[in-house]
Formats: sequence, C-alpha cells, structure tokens
Amino acid sequence: MNETHPECCECTPLPSTPMDTPLRNVLDRISGFATPWRRQSGPAPRGRRIFHRDVERQDHQFQYGTAHCLSSYYSVFVARLAIMVMLAILIGLLTILTWHFTRIYTTKSLNSLAYGLRNELLQRPISRMWNIINSTTEITTAQLKLSEYVFRRYNKPATQAEQVEQLYEVMRDITWALFASRKALNAITINYKNGFVQAFHRDHRSNNTFYIYSDLTNYSISAGGSNEINLLSSHQSWKDQSIHGNISAIWYQEPLDPVTGEKIGKAKPIPPDDLIKIAGLSQVPDGVASWHVAVSKYTDSPLLSAALPVWDPSNESIVAVVGVTTALYSVGQLMKELVEVHSGHIYLTSKEGYLLATSTNAPLLTNTTKGPKLMMAVDSEEKVIKMGARWLQGAYGNNFSQRHEIHAENARLGQEQYFIDSFFLKLKRLPLVGVIIIPRKNIMGKVDERAFKTLVILISASLCILFIGCICIFILTNGVSKEMKLRAELISHLDARRRAEASSNYKSQFLANMSHELRTPMAAVIGLLDILISDDCLTNEQFSTVTQIRKCSTALLRLLNNILDLSKVESGKLVLEETEFDLGRELEGLVDMFSVQCINHNVETVLDLSDNMPKIVRGDSARVVQIFANLISNSLKFTTSGHIIIRGWCENSNSSFDIGKFPLNQKKSRPAHKTKLKEQGSHTKKACKQDNRMTLRFEVDDTGCGIDPSKWESVFESFEQADPSTTRTHGGTGLGLCIVRTLVNKMGGEIKVAKKDGPGTLMQLYLLLTTPVDGTEQHCQVDFSKQNLVVLLALRGRMGRLIMSQWLHKIGLFTVEASEWNELTQILRELFRIRSSVYNNGFDAQFSLSEPLSTKVMNIKDMRNPAFIILVDIGLLDLSTDIWKEQLNFLDSYFGKARFAWMLSHDTPNAIKMELRRKGHMLMVNMPLYKEKMIHILEAVIKERNLEGQKKSSNTLRTTKEGDLHEYLEIDATQFDVASSDDSDISEIGSSNSVSGSQTGEKRRERLRKPGSSGYQAINNCLVELTRVYSEENYSTERDPCHVRLNSHDVQNEEPKCCTRASLSSEAQSESSEQHLVISCPTAQGNIYSSKAANEQKSLEGVRILLAEDNPVLQRVASIMLEKLGATVFAVGDGLQAVDALNCILGAEDCIRESIFEDRNTRTQTEIKDFPSYDLILMDCQMPKMDGYEATEIIRKSEAGTGLHIPIVALTAHAMSSDEAKCLEVGMDAYLTKPIDYKLMVSTILSLTKRTA
Amino acid sequence: MEVGQLQRRLVDYTKSLLTEGILDDQFTQLQKLQDEGNPGFLVEVVSLFFEDSEKLLNDITRALDQQSVDFKMVDAHVHQLKGSSSSMGAQKLKNACVTFRSFCDEQSMEGCLKSLQLVKQEYYDVKNKVETLFKMEKQIVAAGGSVPKTE
Repeated sequence: MNETHPECCECTPLPSTPMDTPLRNVLDRISGFATPWRRQSGPAPRGRRIFHRDVERQDHQFQYGTAHCLSSYYSVFVARLAIMVMLAILIGLLTILTWHFTRIYTTKSLNSLAYGLRNELLQRPISRMWNIINSTTEITTAQLKLSEYVFRRYNKPATQAEQVEQLYEVMRDITWALFASRKALNAITINYKNGFVQAFHRDHRSNNTFYIYSDLTNYSISAGGSNEINLLSSHQSWKDQSIHGNISAIWYQEPLDPVTGEKIGKAKPIPPDDLIKIAGLSQVPDGVASWHVAVSKYTDSPLLSAALPVWDPSNESIVAVVGVTTALYSVGQLMKELVEVHSGHIYLTSKEGYLLATSTNAPLLTNTTKGPKLMMAVDSEEKVIKMGARWLQGAYGNNFSQRHEIHAENARLGQEQYFIDSFFLKLKRLPLVGVIIIPRKNIMGKVDERAFKTLVILISASLCILFIGCICIFILTNGVSKEMKLRAELISHLDARRRAEASSNYKSQFLANMSHELRTPMAAVIGLLDILISDDCLTNEQFSTVTQIRKCSTALLRLLNNILDLSKVESGKLVLEETEFDLGRELEGLVDMFSVQCINHNVETVLDLSDNMPKIVRGDSARVVQIFANLISNSLKFTTSGHIIIRGWCENSNSSFDIGKFPLNQKKSRPAHKTKLKEQGSHTKKACKQDNRMTLRFEVDDTGCGIDPSKWESVFESFEQADPSTTRTHGGTGLGLCIVRTLVNKMGGEIKVAKKDGPGTLMQLYLLLTTPVDGTEQHCQVDFSKQNLVVLLALRGRMGRLIMSQWLHKIGLFTVEASEWNELTQILRELFRIRSSVYNNGFDAQFSLSEPLSTKVMNIKDMRNPAFIILVDIGLLDLSTDIWKEQLNFLDSYFGKARFAWMLSHDTPNAIKMELRRKGHMLMVNMPLYKEKMIHILEAVIKERNLEGQKKSSNTLRTTKEGDLHEYLEIDATQFDVASSDDSDISEIGSSNSVSGSQTGEKRRERLRKPGSSGYQAINNCLVELTRVYSEENYSTERDPCHVRLNSHDVQNEEPKCCTRASLSSEAQSESSEQHLVISCPTAQGNIYSSKAANEQKSLEGVRILLAEDNPVLQRVASIMLEKLGATVFAVGDGLQAVDALNCILGAEDCIRESIFEDRNTRTQTEIKDFPSYDLILMDCQMPKMDGYEATEIIRKSEAGTGLHIPIVALTAHAMSSDEAKCLEVGMDAYLTKPIDYKLMVSTILSLTKRTA
Repeated sequence: MEVGQLQRRLVDYTKSLLTEGILDDQFTQLQKLQDEGNPGFLVEVVSLFFEDSEKLLNDITRALDQQSVDFKMVDAHVHQLKGSSSSMGAQKLKNACVTFRSFCDEQSMEGCLKSLQLVKQEYYDVKNKVETLFKMEKQIVAAGGSVPKTE
C-alpha cells in the first residue's frame, strides 16, 4: 500500500506537464465550476471591500491550490486507468498466447495423426485391391502357363481329334482346379482360337457355380482344327468377327457343385456372352496381358478382368485367350468394414473417374438401355461421395488424379467439414485413385470442442483476473486518492484558517472602528446621566435609579474597553501602565461592587488582606482590578451559596504566614504554599532588593461547583468553559479567565487552579508589582489596642465574621461574636448585666452562654472602662414583620453604653434607615465589612469618645480635629478610587492625574481660601482632597449630607463619611471649625452643570485656552462650553494659525497681553503677568494646512530651551489607544475624544493648567 | 394656554427628533449651553453648521463631478462634515458620513455618489427639522412664553 504512494505521487506531476491540452481542458472545465462562485462573491459585500482586498488575493491562491488539487485528482485517475489498461493488455496477451500455443500444437499433432490415420485407412483397401489384382494376375498367369503346357502336350497333329477332346478335358480340369482354388474369382474363361469357349463362373449372389462351354458339335475338330490352324496360321485373321461369328453358337451352362466340381444339373443352353463376358482375342490385341474393368448383368459390382494370350509353343500364334474376372466386391466390403470403425467414406475410382468401389451400399453401376455401365464418381448416389468428387473436381480440375496425393483438411461439403485425401495408385494399365472423406468432427470434433471450451475458460478466467486486478488497482490507488483527499482537505482547512485569520483581522479593525462609534454615545449617555444626577428635582427613587443606570453605563463602557483590551492583548499590543495606586482600595471597591450581586445570590463576599500588603503599589490599576473583577464575577457565577474569599498577602514578609490571621480551613493548604514559595523565594528576593519588587499573592476561594481537575489548565484557554453546559446555565463566552491569565502573565505572575478541601474552586495567583520606595511605610494607624475597645460582631456571614474577629484580635481588640439575634441579646445582657439597670423583657430568651463565650464576657467585664462597639448586621433584624422595631427598641436600651454600627445591605428599606437615624444610630456602613471600613468605624468611635471627652475638658481641640480630618481624608480617597475603578475611562486620566492631583488641589485651595478667613491651616489639607475628589466625581451635589445618605446605596462609601460627619456635626455643633468644614465641603463640590453658585460654575475661571479647530461648528461649541466655564477662548482655524498665534505671543508677549487685556477685561493685569499667554491649547488632530500633530511638534520645538511648556490637549475623533500614543508621542499632554465629554474636558484642563501654574 | 400647547408641541417634537435618531444628545447639550448670557448661541451654531455643510457638500459634489476623482479630498471633506455634524448632534447625517467615508476608502465611485445622495438627503432633512424647531421656538417666544428646556 505504502509502496504505491511514492510512485503515484511521482507520476502525478509528470503527466500534468506534458499533457497540456486534454487534461488542461478538463481541469479548466472543472475549475470553471469555481469561477462563477468567485464571481458571485466578488461584488456582493461592497461595503467591506477594503478589508476584502487581501483576502481576495488569498482567495486567488486558494483557487490555484484547488486547481492543483484537482489536477492531482485527475492524474490519479489517469494513472489508475493506465495501470488498468496495462493489466488488461497483459492478461489479454497471455490469454491469446496460451490459446494460440495450445491450439496450434494440438492441431498440428492431431493433423499429422489424422493424416496418418487417413493414409492408413486408404492404404488398406488399396492393398486389398492390390492383392486382388495380384491374385488375379497370378491366377491368370498360372492359367496361362498351364494352358501353354497343355497345348504343347496336346498340340500334336497326329492325334488331332482325340487330342482336342483330351485337350479340352484337361483344360477343363486344370481350369477347374485353379478356379476352385480361388474362391474370390468370378470367372475363368478360356477362349480357344477355334471359337470354343470354356468358362467357369461363380455367382456370388446365388452361390452357384457354373460351367459354361460352347457346343462342341458345331465345331468339328477338323473344322475346328482347320479353323484353328487357319486362325493360328493367319494370325491377322483372328478378329472380332470370328467371335461375333460365334454368336450364333450355342453355349451351355452346366451347374456344378461348388466344392467338387461334379455336375449337379443338366446343361442348358444360354445365349453367348449372356452370363459372363468371355475374354477374346480382341482383348489382347498386342499379345500382352491387358486389364480392364467390366460390368456384368448379373453382378452389381464392377469386375476386374485380366486377359492373357496363350501362345503356341512356337510362340508364333495365340492359341487361346485366358481371362480371369474378379469381382471388386471384396474391396467394397473391406471399405465398409473400415468405415464402420472410422466412419466417413472411401471410394476408389479409375483414372477416368469411374467408381470402382465405395464404402457405401450405393450402386456402382447405372442401368442404361445398353445395360449396366460404370458410374462416374460425380454421379454417385451417395451424396457425400458425390459432393466430395465434385469438390475435388472443382478444386483441382479434371486431372486431379495426375497428382499423386491431395490432402484437404477443410473441405466444406454441405453442412459439414470434411477431411478429403486422395491417393493415386499407379497400376499398370489401370491406374486407380483412392479418395477418403472423413467428417472433420470425427477426428477433430473433440479437439474442437475442447478448444472451444478452453477458449471460453481462458477468456472467462482472464476476464476474472482483469476484474480482480482492476479492483486491486482501485484499492491500491485508493490510498493515493485518499491522500489526495486529505490534501484537499488540508488545503481547505488552510483556506478556512486564513479566512478565520482574516476575519479576526476584520474583527480587530471592526473593533477599532467601532470603539469610537460606541464610545461616543456611551460618553453622551454618561454625561447626560451626570446632568440628571446633578439635577435637583429628582426624587430619591429616581436618583437611585439614575445612579444605577450610570453605573451600568460605566460598566458597559468598561466592557467595551475590555473588548478592546482583549484585541490588544491578542495582538500583543497591550502596554501596562506604571502608576501608583492603592491596591487595597481597589479591591475594596471591587468587593463593594460585587457584594451587591453576592447578596442577591446569598453569597458572602469576604476580603481578607494581610496587613503587610503595601498600601501603594506601582502598576496598572485598571488591569489589576480587571483581573480580580473577572475572577470574582467568575466565582460568583458558579457559587450559589456559601462565600467567596479574596485573600491577599505579601510574599517577602514573614508575617504573611501568620496562620492565625487566616481562616482555619486554610491551614491545610498552607504547606503547599510554603514549598512553592521557597522555590521562588530566591529570585524574588533578588528582585525585591533591586527595585523594591513585591510578590503579591492572592487567592480567590469560593464554594461553588468547582472545576474538574482535568480542566484546570484548559479553563484558561480562550472560549473554554469547564463544563459546556455552563454556557446554557450561566452564559458567558469563556473569555474572562483567558484575559485574566494573559494579564497576570503580563504582570510577571502566574495563575492556576489549586486543590481545595471541600467544594468550590481555589484560584491562586501572584503578581509582581513594584512599590514606590517611599510608599512602603504604612499609613499612620491609630493604635487601637490602647483604646480599650470591645467589638461585638453580630454578623450573619460566618466567614466574614471569623476573619474580622481574627484580625481584630490581632490588632489587640476584644471581640465577641454573634451570628443571630438571640445570641446577640444574650451577650448584650451578659455584658451589661452589672451596668444595666434597664432590663427589657421583650426578648427574654434565657440562653446560657457557652463556656468560651462566657469566659470572654468575664474578661471583658474585667476591663477598665471599656468602650463597646456593636456591629449589627441589618440582616439580624426580622425585617419581614414589624418585629424589627421592637428589636431596635431593645437595642436602644444599650444606646448609651455602646456604640452601634449598622451593617446595611444595598436593599435595606429606607424606612429602616430613617428609623435608625431617628434613633440616633449614625454609624452605618454597607455590606460587606472589611478592614478599612472597620478601621473607620473604630476611628469614628474613638473620635466620638474623644469629643465627649473634649466636651468635658474643652481642650486639645486641634489634635482631635486632626484626627477627624484624617478620617475624612481617608474615606474620600476611598471613594475616589472606587469610583475610578468603576469607571476605567476616567481611571486612566484619574490615575495619571493622581500625581498632579495634589498640585491641582493646592492650586484650588488658593482660590478657595478666599471666601474663608486665613485661619485654618489644618483644615486645608482636607479641603484639598475633597475639592479634588468632588470636582472630578460630581457625585454629590447635595448640601445636606444626610440627604445623600438617604439617596443612594450606590454611593456606599460616601455613607460612612456622611454618617460620621452628621454625627459630628450634630454632636459638636458648637465647634466653629466643624461648622466651617461642613459649609466648605459643599462649596468645594464644584458641580459643573448645576448653576447654583457662580464659583462652582466657573471652574475654569481665568484659564486662557487656545482652541485650534477647523470645524466651525465644533469650534463654536467648544468655545461656548469653555467660556461658560469661565475660560477665555481664542479660536484658530488650523495648526498653522495656532503656531503663529503662539509665536506671536512668545515673540511679543506684551503686545498680546495688551490685546488680551482688552479682550477680557475681567482679568487684571497682574493675573496675566502671572500666567503665560495661554494656559492650554486644545488641538484638533485633523486639520487642513497643518494638522495637530505637526503643530504640536513645532510648538514643542520652539519651546525647547525656553523652559516653557504649554499643555496641549489633543482633540480627536479616534478613540484608539494608538491615536493616544501618537498624540503623546508628539508632545501632547492629554487626549480628549470627540464629541467632547464635558466633565472629562474640565478635569483634564484643570489638571493640566494647575500643574503648570 | 396656547403657549403651553406650543411648548408641549416643541418638547414632543424635540423628543421625536431624538428618538428618531436625527439628533442626539450632543444637540441637547448644545441647547443646554445656551442661556441668558448668549441667547442666540444655538441658532448661531446651527447656522454656522448649515453654512459650513452646504459649502462642504458643494465641494464634495464638485470633487465627485471631476474626471479623475480625488478620493482623498472627498474623504477630507466628508470627514469635516462628519465632525461638524457630530458636534451638532445630527446623528443620522453623521452616520451617513461614516458610510460615505468607507466608500471613499474603497474608492467606489458608485457608492460615493449614492452616499452623497444620502448625505444630502439627511442634511436637508436635519436642516428642515431643526429649522422647524427654531420656528416653533420663535413662535413660543412670540407668544410670550419661554422656550422649555428639554428633559
């Protein structure tokens, strides 16, 4: 099988080259089928022609490939055909040869055999004939000799009369003796010269023997003697007439006993020559023996008669004529016998063609009026003989007998074929021709039959072999054609692959093109939502809805960006940012975001970050968030109940192995970590030393359905899901983990699925992130352990509670845990039994506390002046009925003794919140609880306590305030970061601005300080932060913090702040500094859209902007926008003008300054002097004459050396990062997409202008 | 009474324009930008847009009429038109421009001509609609009412 392949493969290209015309034609015709299709596909999608171009080229190649494939198909076909034909020829030749040889040799040998046979057959009758003739001759000779003897004896003249009598007597006896000795003889006659006749005749038919003699009385001896003498003397006178003269003589016939020769009857007279023919002198005219064939009346066979003259002793005259007649009957008899054995016909003819003997019973004589005559062979009654004779005559003419022998093998006589052979028998005076006719089938019949059978068998056998051979060839070459098919398939696969690649190219291009188109409306939607949010007239419901929509929109935008990311990652173009960000905050924000979903799913989300985690790391925050967002959402998707824990710790710090910090079930998997960590320990340490790199390890642990171990690797593949059915039940594309892995790998980390006890999945990953050199120090943390705090965690979620209490223990706080309402009441009663006099019976359920708990409670009781913080999950209250109110009342009884902090879920009804607030529970945080929130709660409590203390002591105002403000700062920063992680669009700028943020804030502070007096240096820092945050976020426009809190569950992180602030303001009304804070905060919340306060509106007051935009409409729109914000706008039509305008300013600043002064009289001269001529340039990228890139390059060149740097912001219609890269490359500072997003523009401009100032 | 009706009609009309996609939020933003400080802003911008667009359309038509069409030039013009229409908020016109540009890239004369027709159609459509809008606003002002803010 395999051997045939190379041959066929080799032969395939060969025929295709020389077989130009016919094969090409066929191929052309076949490839012609493809062309209409090609033509069809050509003009169809016109719109996509651009992208199709290169594909068409590929198409062409494929066409070529298909044609090639087809040609090889055909060459295989041709080769197969050729092999079959060759086989057929070979087998045919073999058959013919076999046939030929068998046939020829048998025929030849048979022929020779048959010839011998025929010869033999013929020889026998001929030899019989010969015998007969011989015997006749012998008898005749004997008779002659005896006669001569007798005549000599009795030829004495003296004794004439008696002697004659005696002579005749003697002659009679002698003759009889001879006659009797030869049974075959027909007759012996003696014809004396005197006319006396003596004859013996044997009639074979009647088996009678007769003696015939002429009447002696008519012949006197003398007369006779004289006659005789006369006759003898006159030799010439012996003539026929003398015999005829004897006709009148009377002949007698005497029947004789055939054996003894005795007379048995009376002699009766018969007419002469009636019975037999007596040979007379006429028959021996020349005196020598003569032969002839005679016929007789009474025999139906020809007779052979020989005649010899009897000379007298002197040998001068003929005394008598002796004739012997033999019937040829026996020859015929023999022939019959022979023919009986061998079939066929034999006949003898005389030279003239008279039939002498045949093997048939047909008569040999014809009865004419003159008596019987010999028949010619051609007139024979026997058909075969007749036809044979005719055939011979026709073939060889009349003188055929002259030839010695004739052998004809295929003489067609009548219907059959015969062998005809003739032999020439050269007898003296009587030449004979023997003919033998044998039907061919008698001899060759079997042979012919056999030959025919053989032929049939041969042909059928060869046909069979041919057929089998063809099948064999087909099967053998089938392998080749299979290979061809495979090749064709391969080609089509290649085709498909290239198509797929091309389509993936299209996809990328499509995405690139679409990003712009999609982002534009999205930006508009978000912008409009911002407007809506800033609107006053919304009800709370509407506000929350709109906020939700905004979140969704930003999520959608993020999704779009993610798709772009994936295409970027796929093409390897993803570049990670290197900016500082607070990893903890990002993760907290994420958890906050997902907790909403989690609560729906009845799943607890727990964030468990080790304390040694660096606060600030450098890296791409958006990507890190993306990683975790994907992982968490993935876990969430497959977890219906239980928990999702995100653990994080820092590798190169030993404290990360503080087992106590981790939940118990984690302990088992720890050793595995350690070994792995050891492996990496060496090089990570090195890396750490160099550039402060950290290996941050994370685990995302869920209690979902888990992943089959065999799929642990493949889930990270593109479009892979652990179980195909998940698409049905959970949806999704299977891209998430793929992106995650790509990103993790990009950040120098690894991700894998780890083994886990119990149900669920454990994803382990580590990231290599650098930490800023100065950023490693932990933010100053209040030492809570000295505060004598007792935390009662009344939380439903087990994992969260466990982790939280462990952490609190670690930082030195007492914790008591409760998971349900009854437990809580019990503990509360225990704790406050001594202190409390109020005992509410409403929820009296006497549980005895368990042993460890009671000891704990006892310990706490021992504490001196403890401050209780009770964290109550809103879920512990029975919200389905109205019992919660009573429950609240019950808790109220402890209000003075402990601080309550409420854990709200996002769907907590407003009524409850209102009620809580009414009751003075101001500390409310949203689920889930994590460290940062806990710290805020603790700080708030401590602060409150301190404030209480202050009330009494009324001093140390400033320090407290420091603390307060610090808290604010933290919370606000959280909010900012969370928001930025929500909105990755902003986060890019946000994070890039974060460095300059403080500067911006600094700048703003300068202005904001104006309304206030100059006193509060300490507050400033706080204000700076707040201002920045609010100007970028535009979340809250409300003056009343409480209102904000009521409004949304989305602005979760705002709530702690607001709550604390509210509590602060309510409890510390008298503080003037506090008062200021409350007022100044909203002031700082400069909302762009709301036109409530002039200074809010004019956020760009005094900023001078050069707008280079060729499109008049956009130019107008942008300038109005900017002017409305208080900026001064100078619009130019193209890049050239922009450059000119700048050069003009640089060259003659004063002059321009004058004009500007005239232009905007709101500006004071001093202000102008402070700034360069333009604070910022907004540069359209695509402009006539000189585009934005060029203009920027020129401006940057001209700036070189002057130390000036005018910020240039690009305006472009393209939203691709490549454009951004290009913009930044030529020296632009930022990048805005068209249509201009209001908010984004303002924030960008602010960040840039403040930096330079 | 009448003013109220007119106002309602105007609001409905504006809404229909937005929902039909002839205009988009950019236009409403523009509307918002208009206030007491610059009352004629929107009209100004719109008339600027019309002026500019007509010039551009003429340019495009001329460019396409020529023997050898300079598709790059056409493309540049269309790009401008697209920019201004997107700034104006004429969404459909902008979309038509996007299609037009793709044909320019393809250098498909036939497609360009078709697109030009489409763009012109869209242009006149939006022009009519916006002019009607302004007319209605004027009516309201004439009737002594104030132009209602959308949303």
